Amino acid sequence: MLLPRFEYHQPASLDEAVEVLGQYAGEAAVLAGGTDLLVNMKHQAMAPSHLVSLAGVEGLDQASADGGRVTVGPLMSAAVLAQSEFIAANAGALALGAAVLGSPQVRTRATVGGNVCNARPAADMSVPLLALGARAVLTGPDGQRQVDLEEFFVGPGQTVRAPGELLSALEMDAPAPGTGWGYQKLGLRKALEISLVNVAAALSLEDDGKTIKAARVALGAVAPTPILAPGAAEVLVGQAAGGDVFKAAGQKAAADAKPIDDHRGSAWYRREMVAVLTARALNQAWARAQGQ
Amino acid sequence: MTQKFNVIGSRAPRLDAPDKATGRACYVDDIEFPHLLEGAILQSPHAHARILSIDTSAAEALPGVAAVITHRDVPDVRYGVSPARYDETIFAIDKVRYVGDEVAAVAAEDLDTAMAALELIKVEYEVLPHVLTVDEALAEGAPVIHDAFPGNICAEVHQEFGDVAAGFAESDIIRTDVFVNKRQDGAFIEPHRCVAVYDNFGQLTLTSSTQVPHYVQRTVAMVTGIDVGKVRVKKPYVGGGFGPKAEATPCDIISAFLAIKTGRPVRVAYSREQVFLHCRARHQFKHVMKTGFKKDGTIMALDHQCWLEGGAYSSFGIATVYYAGSLLAAPYKLPNMKYDGWRVYTNKPACGAQRGHGGVAARACFEQQLDLIAKQLDMDPIELRLKNIMTAGDVSCNDLAMSSLGMKECIEAVRDGSTWRDKRGRLPKGKGIGMASGFFVSGAGYPIYRSETYHCTVTIKVQEDGGTVKVLTGAAEIGQGSDTAMAMIAAEAIGIPLDRVRLVSGDTDYGVDLGAYSSRTTLMTGHATKEAGEAVKDRVLTALAEELGIERDRLDMANGLVEISGDPVDFSELRTKYIKEHRGWSDHPAGDQITFTEAARIAYLKYGTVVGTGKYKPPVLGGKFKGAAVGTSPAYGCSAQVAEVTVDLETGQVTVDSITDAHDCGKAVNLTSVEAQMEGSVSMGLGEAMFEEVKFDDQGRVLNASLGEYHIPTVLDMPQMSCIVVESGEPNGPFGAKEVGEGAIMPTIPAILNAVHDATGVTITELPITPERVLKALKEKEQEKD
Ligand SMILES: Cc1cc2nc3c(=O)[nH]c(=O)nc-3n(C[C@H](O)[C@H](O)[C@H](O)COP(=O)(O)OP(=O)(O)OC[C@H]3O[C@@H](n4cnc5c(N)ncnc54)[C@H](O)[C@@H]3O)c2cc1C
Repeated sequence: MLLPRFEYHQPASLDEAVEVLGQYAGEAAVLAGGTDLLVNMKHQAMAPSHLVSLAGVEGLDQASADGGRVTVGPLMSAAVLAQSEFIAANAGALALGAAVLGSPQVRTRATVGGNVCNARPAADMSVPLLALGARAVLTGPDGQRQVDLEEFFVGPGQTVRAPGELLSALEMDAPAPGTGWGYQKLGLRKALEISLVNVAAALSLEDDGKTIKAARVALGAVAPTPILAPGAAEVLVGQAAGGDVFKAAGQKAAADAKPIDDHRGSAWYRREMVAVLTARALNQAWARAQGQ
Repeated sequence: MTQKFNVIGSRAPRLDAPDKATGRACYVDDIEFPHLLEGAILQSPHAHARILSIDTSAAEALPGVAAVITHRDVPDVRYGVSPARYDETIFAIDKVRYVGDEVAAVAAEDLDTAMAALELIKVEYEVLPHVLTVDEALAEGAPVIHDAFPGNICAEVHQEFGDVAAGFAESDIIRTDVFVNKRQDGAFIEPHRCVAVYDNFGQLTLTSSTQVPHYVQRTVAMVTGIDVGKVRVKKPYVGGGFGPKAEATPCDIISAFLAIKTGRPVRVAYSREQVFLHCRARHQFKHVMKTGFKKDGTIMALDHQCWLEGGAYSSFGIATVYYAGSLLAAPYKLPNMKYDGWRVYTNKPACGAQRGHGGVAARACFEQQLDLIAKQLDMDPIELRLKNIMTAGDVSCNDLAMSSLGMKECIEAVRDGSTWRDKRGRLPKGKGIGMASGFFVSGAGYPIYRSETYHCTVTIKVQEDGGTVKVLTGAAEIGQGSDTAMAMIAAEAIGIPLDRVRLVSGDTDYGVDLGAYSSRTTLMTGHATKEAGEAVKDRVLTALAEELGIERDRLDMANGLVEISGDPVDFSELRTKYIKEHRGWSDHPAGDQITFTEAARIAYLKYGTVVGTGKYKPPVLGGKFKGAAVGTSPAYGCSAQVAEVTVDLETGQVTVDSITDAHDCGKAVNLTSVEAQMEGSVSMGLGEAMFEEVKFDDQGRVLNASLGEYHIPTVLDMPQMSCIVVESGEPNGPFGAKEVGEGAIMPTIPAILNAVHDATGVTITELPITPERVLKALKEKEQEKD
């Protein structure tokens, strides 16, 4: 359980980081908080011979809003995201997910970029980002490209990011007025828990404060990647918000889920929980959308 | 008569607290050994396989490797815990029996090299069919794990006390219930590790993270053939044990052989994963209990069967299978009891002893059944228990004698402390309250090997030129607080303040002590410490009486001051002499009483070094039947808990909101430590109830061998606790004290189960109480209704 040997690089800019990464493409890994990477390396699950730390690159740990677009820096930690008023107002689901990730110690290290690039199906920041409609901004030797998160995740631990690319930002549309978010995590214990099922919801109301204008429901731990539940969104839009329609959305989400049996829980239970947690997340989002 | 105490019963801060709080406490890995080699063990990747060949040549050739050893390099001896089942070899010889079985070991300049060398050892295996469950192991034609045990039965017990058939004949209600727990892990913070040093005098010194220096010393002497007097085992601070460190481990034994071979200190240390592979923790038990009751709630008979999934070796298993039966004979009056138990070998890591040894799942099953019976009888579960309760002076059907038993007091304390009467049956759906009792030994009546040895010896030496004493004991402080308790007992016995006592412990050079297991230290080492303290006090006061020319029995000591009864005595000459001897010192004794320091100095001047010794071994205990030794103890602790829970009826998730906990520890030597044991027990019991399960794939590999995937409670999962300490005054305990270390875990699981039942009406008969299991039960109940 010792760390394999590697060479450590600490570039001072994004360009330099891309350059170093390109130089060792295939043999290099990006190091953010290290809470996934170093654990995997200790378990010999991966053995990159070069680590490219982002610690020296400026500006990756900021969030901003600009012309209807919200940008979240990949190096922002779960602890910062959980406490940021800006995030709570502009990407609330992310704050909710970040707040229940791991433990206080892990949250101070764990970054949102690492959470997304690590691509675990139950990741506590990835699932909310999916509900927020976030896009991954990838910077590589050939410049920048944007990928919707729905397309970004390919399988457990797998994304469309090329080895020479960096996740340089996460972007999403600024929330419409009357938007609220919910996040529900179900595990065995109250901290240090990988979810059995987690659900994030974003809900926007029409000006009447009742009718659902837009909705997105994202599910964790019920497929090889975090997934959207389009069926749930479909039954919600145009309806008056409330318990019954949220329950119906929960049923649809359960149908959209593709859980499997594993040693942590059965597919049956996970599907049941998708329905329950979806309704709860929507209720939570609704309360916030109404300004509560 | 209540005795007045000056030190006992206080909340004295723990002796180790400053070191642990500031990071100065030294554990095995904090101690530096010059020229240390790092050892590593090659473990079997197969659950069951024949070893065809082992080629270590490439590993030996790797630069930096100092030694590679296999079974060919060590004596062909069997060892284990119970001499009746020595079924382990130092390395696998002909075959491996579980994923993790030791095949070879390396010592190298650093751990990187040692690990690289392991990869160079070539072992050819012929994979054999394996068995992972009790059912598989007992099936006809199942592969045999040990040739000496065809049928894979490691140990079986068949006992009957009273007349069970007659008891059932007189019963109005007979119920049969089944209960299953899961294999647990000890989940202590510090994985096992040991550094062995073999010196030029031919002496082998082990510095080990162990609960039992004495047994490690004996086992290592036995397997190495080194005279036991030349094997010394020292235990520095230990990061927890809970049972899995109560035997010699491969870390101890293999580091010893590597040190002998290389002539250099060698460390062998487990990773967290290896802790799971070594296991020696709680077995999986399956209990079937058939119990008969009278309409008025009187318990008439118990017919009990139990199967233990044991793993590949015996470890403590023989004791475990006996405990699983014998500990049910109390604290309720149970006139007729039949027990059939089987411990079964499987191709998994060996299980052993863990807090509440053998009794925890049995207790959970029985206490849950009591609640179900109470429901059938429409009786309050607390009333049912009080109706059957034993009191001091009672003897169980299997000859366990209750010399003290505050069981009734415990039950009443949690009933009143939790305001049970206002809550039971009155809480909204989804909220529940439940209770259960517990019972445990206060030290095993007999050592693990058959012997008339003292269970502990203690020496207290009065420092020649000062008023401090030094306690030397082999007792194992593993975090439970025994150092503090022994220092307090010594202070009380001598009659001096606690800060006059220094203490060294956990070293086989300091005396015999069987170690920290079976909740024995406070009672047993406490006795020996008290006896040694009293000897010191007597010697010092005898000297003083001579000096003053008065009768010895006019003198006593308390708080470091001599008390003289009768007419005042002029001791000015004595004081002047002392002050003259200490010219220039600033702390001259003053006041109108002779101090311990002055008296101790006089004793030294008269007799030379003053030493008091103490020893303890229980009297002959228990019945004459086979296995009667297991369960006997000079005293028994007991406890009761009320749990209050909230069940999320949509997800099945259970939250334990509060636990009201009462424990009869005879007399609290240190109140804070007693409460800490109670809280720690609840945490551990809660983990077993709610989360913990070591899981395996179908090849016998552990799936969750990390504290990330194996869930123990976090601080956020702990309920609100209120601890009530009951003191029944144990006649066989030092100053009335008996156990709190293990008995306190007994009621937690059934109290939670009973509260879940109260909240939902469902009975959970398999641990852990996962949300999925609860939801399934809720759905099944709904369907039954339709
Ligand atoms: C004890 C513990 C508890 C945990 N609990 C949780 C939990 O409850 N919920 C949860 O979701 N996760 C949990 N995790 C996992 C982990 O903490 C999170 O996934 C975290 O967000 C990872 O971020 P990091 O900065 O540490 O990533 P790192 O480990 O630094 O990186 C993770 C991966 O992403 C790559 N990477 C990182 N940043 C970039 C980038 N900008 N561009 C390209 N590639 C990049 C790395 O190369 C690596 O492959 C836990 C981990 C531990 C150790």
